[in-house]
Amino acid sequence: MTALRAEWTKFRTSPGTIGLLLVLVATTVAVSAAAAAAITCRGDCEIDPARVSLTGVRLGQAVVAILAVLMIGTEYGTGMIRTTLTAVPRRWTVLLAKSAVLVAVVAVAATVAVLGSLLVGRELLPAGQTFSWTAAPVLRAMIGSVVYLVLVALLGLGVATAVRNAAAAIGLVLGLLYLFPILALSVSDPTWIRRLEKVGPMTAGLGVQATKGLEDLAIGPWRGIGVLGAWALAALVVGGVLLRRRDA
Amino acid sequence: MTDATIVVDGLRKRFGANTALDGMSFTVRPGQVTGFLGPNGAGKSTTMRVILALDSADAGTALIGGRPYRSLRRPLRHVGSLLDAGALQPGRTARDHLLWIAYSQGLGARRVDEVIGQAGLGSVARRRAGGFSLGMRQRLGIATALLGDPAAVLLDEPFNGMDPEGIIWMRGFLRALAAEGRAVLVSSHLMAELQDTADRVVIAGRGRVIADRSVAELLTAASDGRVTVRSTAATAAGVLAAAGATATPTGAGQLTVSGLTASEVVGALTAGGVPFSEVSAHRATLEDAYLELTRDAVEFRAEVTR
Amino acid sequence: MRDMIRAEWTKFRTVRGWVVGMVLAAVVVMMFGLFPGVQGNCGRHGTGSECVLPVGPEGGEVSDSFMFAHQPLTGDGTLTVRVADLTGVLLGDPDRAGLAPWTKAGLIVKDGTKPGSAYAAVMVTGGHGVRMQHNFAHDRAGRAGSWLRLTRAGQTVTGASSADGVTWTTVDSVRMTLPATVELGMFVASPQYAEVMASSLGSVGASGGPSRATALFDHVSRDGTWTGTPVGGPGNAEPGQRGGLLPTGDGFTVTGTGDIAPAVAGAAGIGTTVTQTLIGTFAGLILVVVVATMSVTAEYRRGLIRTTVTASPRRGRVLAAKALVLGAVTFVVGLVAAAVVVLGGQQLLRNAGTYLHPASTATELRLIVGTATLLAVSAVLGLALGVLLRRGTTAVTAAIVTIVLPYLLAMTVLPTEAARWLLRVTPAAAFAVQQSATEYAQVDNLYTPIEGYFPLAPWAGLAVLTGWTALALALAAHRLRRRDA
Repeated sequence: MTALRAEWTKFRTSPGTIGLLLVLVATTVAVSAAAAAAITCRGDCEIDPARVSLTGVRLGQAVVAILAVLMIGTEYGTGMIRTTLTAVPRRWTVLLAKSAVLVAVVAVAATVAVLGSLLVGRELLPAGQTFSWTAAPVLRAMIGSVVYLVLVALLGLGVATAVRNAAAAIGLVLGLLYLFPILALSVSDPTWIRRLEKVGPMTAGLGVQATKGLEDLAIGPWRGIGVLGAWALAALVVGGVLLRRRDA
Repeated sequence: MTDATIVVDGLRKRFGANTALDGMSFTVRPGQVTGFLGPNGAGKSTTMRVILALDSADAGTALIGGRPYRSLRRPLRHVGSLLDAGALQPGRTARDHLLWIAYSQGLGARRVDEVIGQAGLGSVARRRAGGFSLGMRQRLGIATALLGDPAAVLLDEPFNGMDPEGIIWMRGFLRALAAEGRAVLVSSHLMAELQDTADRVVIAGRGRVIADRSVAELLTAASDGRVTVRSTAATAAGVLAAAGATATPTGAGQLTVSGLTASEVVGALTAGGVPFSEVSAHRATLEDAYLELTRDAVEFRAEVTR
Repeated sequence: MRDMIRAEWTKFRTVRGWVVGMVLAAVVVMMFGLFPGVQGNCGRHGTGSECVLPVGPEGGEVSDSFMFAHQPLTGDGTLTVRVADLTGVLLGDPDRAGLAPWTKAGLIVKDGTKPGSAYAAVMVTGGHGVRMQHNFAHDRAGRAGSWLRLTRAGQTVTGASSADGVTWTTVDSVRMTLPATVELGMFVASPQYAEVMASSLGSVGASGGPSRATALFDHVSRDGTWTGTPVGGPGNAEPGQRGGLLPTGDGFTVTGTGDIAPAVAGAAGIGTTVTQTLIGTFAGLILVVVVATMSVTAEYRRGLIRTTVTASPRRGRVLAAKALVLGAVTFVVGLVAAAVVVLGGQQLLRNAGTYLHPASTATELRLIVGTATLLAVSAVLGLALGVLLRRGTTAVTAAIVTIVLPYLLAMTVLPTEAARWLLRVTPAAAFAVQQSATEYAQVDNLYTPIEGYFPLAPWAGLAVLTGWTALALALAAHRLRRRDA
């Protein structure tokens, strides 16, 4: 509990944190708005309005990743990690405390970003392309996007703990997220496309934003979130084991 | 060797509301070790950074042999410096670190091996600098400073983190640099480190020079002619007062006398037939002089509070 | 400046992590390029069974399959017909009645019936009016009319159209090399159709399929026997739907499919292009950007930047030397990796049974040099962002996000117009340099980024990235000079 409090204080008082959270909300909403505004067709095209309104999550996740990576990356950069581990020698506790703080903060900021995106998207989408707030798939997309961002944060924290270098960690996280969809784009074999989309943390995880055409998804919405969750968990476990074993 | 005189003239610099330099002026001459003293925050590091064109001053100039640092074509051949011994890429070996700096000055690998020997780094030169102790990093920093065989050398707190052996080595090393005719500027916030090393001291406080004298002058000034007399005779004070001195008891059988030199005191006591066990001129340490001078200039003084 | 470059190079090569990162970048580019992971359809019916495209008389691969009702013509001659009717079917699920825009029916004079041989044709089309085309690459529009006339006089072929069979307007007159005896007749071709549509996932998809067309020709000016020959390979339709030739009243009904046009990759064509071998560029790019950014942010973090600018007080030049070294290192690494995949990857793709459009040496060279430049410039962008932002994490993210994310958004979620706009103005435009497919006005295809067609010309796209990098570098130089180190 004291570890939690310590991490929260550290997080809250490190410069740039609030700024990054604002950037997260701003970029997510802005990209979502731009994507919604780019849809000009009215009834004649088949789009998924809720999903288009959540486009910004694709950029927002990069900001979330920065936030998560910096949480431990700066400590390695400055050597403060040694102070942290002297204060709380149980290293798993440190990692869990960091995860808890990160989950809480990202969940709040992501909720604001997602709600903002949907709100703006609804305004900007052309008439006839709209969605109902209370429809179950829209709620799923909403909650799922928040969970998605939280899991990306945990993935980032795990990778940064394992890699111990902030810049390398962010490269790795962004590579994991962005490479799978790009590879899926460039292969032509449909089985391979589905295979890649099933295992990629971003491609599988963002399926939760679909409110229609679920049968076209490579993997079901919540199962896709499960794939991302597995990535995040794996990263955290690897990070935790290494943190435990290595000299600080 | 090129002209090595460093002339700092009227430097001013503000960081927001803080005045870091407030008309800093002094000269560092060749063949001398100039100690740059002052409490933390007196502006020593900032002055060195301005000399090296790392920071730009709001006003004033800092010239090396009459030229600003920025205009030097291969600056490390004019001025060698050690500011922060920790400024290393930990993954690079000591030798490689020196190598890239040497190349930037048009120097070759042979010069690198020379300074490695000079700084006593031969056994660790091919090890990653990240694993160096603070003392070894200081030596690597010294090697960097010497790389260009510069006429002037600037060292910021070089004694930090050194063990006693290292401190003794450093003192001898600084003397040797001056003896070779180089201008040496060494900053420190501890007077004792420079007492036997510096020829001259520049004492800074609150961004300006408080004193700029030779060490000998400073010592004399600080001693201000007091003499300590040990005598159990009750007449001692009276005899000395009659000779025109002010004598104050400062302990059991001890008087502090001012107004007469030590030999005059001995003369007066002998003439008056006063027995005494010791007469000594009060020899001030540089530390005393320094504390005296910087008393008002200390930025953060530890307050005794209840 | 030479000293500084030497110093920066020493600095770079003596940190093992950076060297490893650069080598790794080359390795991933090669790995992705040499591991296709895709099994193509070609070669399943024997070596090269259906994946050899004919080559046109001017070089370059072509589609050349159509239904040809022909008779030999020796010397000069003229053929006039009226295209009385043209109807078609777009095959799909379900089949729909309709014409593809480039469904063609008309007259053709051709050097035999071998696919890829020289020809000149005048035709009515599904959506582009009357055209005269010859030797696959050339296309000219003519005045509308259902009467067509094709005349061979020596090495000149002239096409004309007329609305009433009385007043004729020349569409085009072309000079070409033809033997004394050629095949002259009526033809029908109907190409693969392609439609852009937004799929339910919010991503832009394509639908399309083969099409078939039937034309009724009457008022045929020449007598004699007309032989019906399906020219070309299996074409785009199933064998049973290849069409044929039927005498109808005083004319002929010709049903055909296929196309007479330059071959394209993507939805309306077959196979893929050499660009496919370069898909590892993204992975390499991320690594390169991380190394480039870290090489300067590490200096800030350790305070080493002060040593650097003390050694070289002219800070603008320090930045230039850094950019030069990083750019050169990345360029060489990229050049090696790209050369290996472009030259070796093509063979591997073919062996895996994927049809690959051959690329000219010039194109291969552009791909290799362009990819190396793309990586090098991205590295310099990373460096500049590192100086500007001073923090490795934000700088790496900024570099990757500005280069990769627009590409990804353009390819997945955005409608074509917005996607094209993004690929014109953002650093992602640079990927145009990897484009190896050509856009033809006379071939309907999805000329979308996702199919490898970029809105900017290759070097223009690279120039966009270079422009952004120059801007970032200028800002970085300004910042480096102005700020206390």
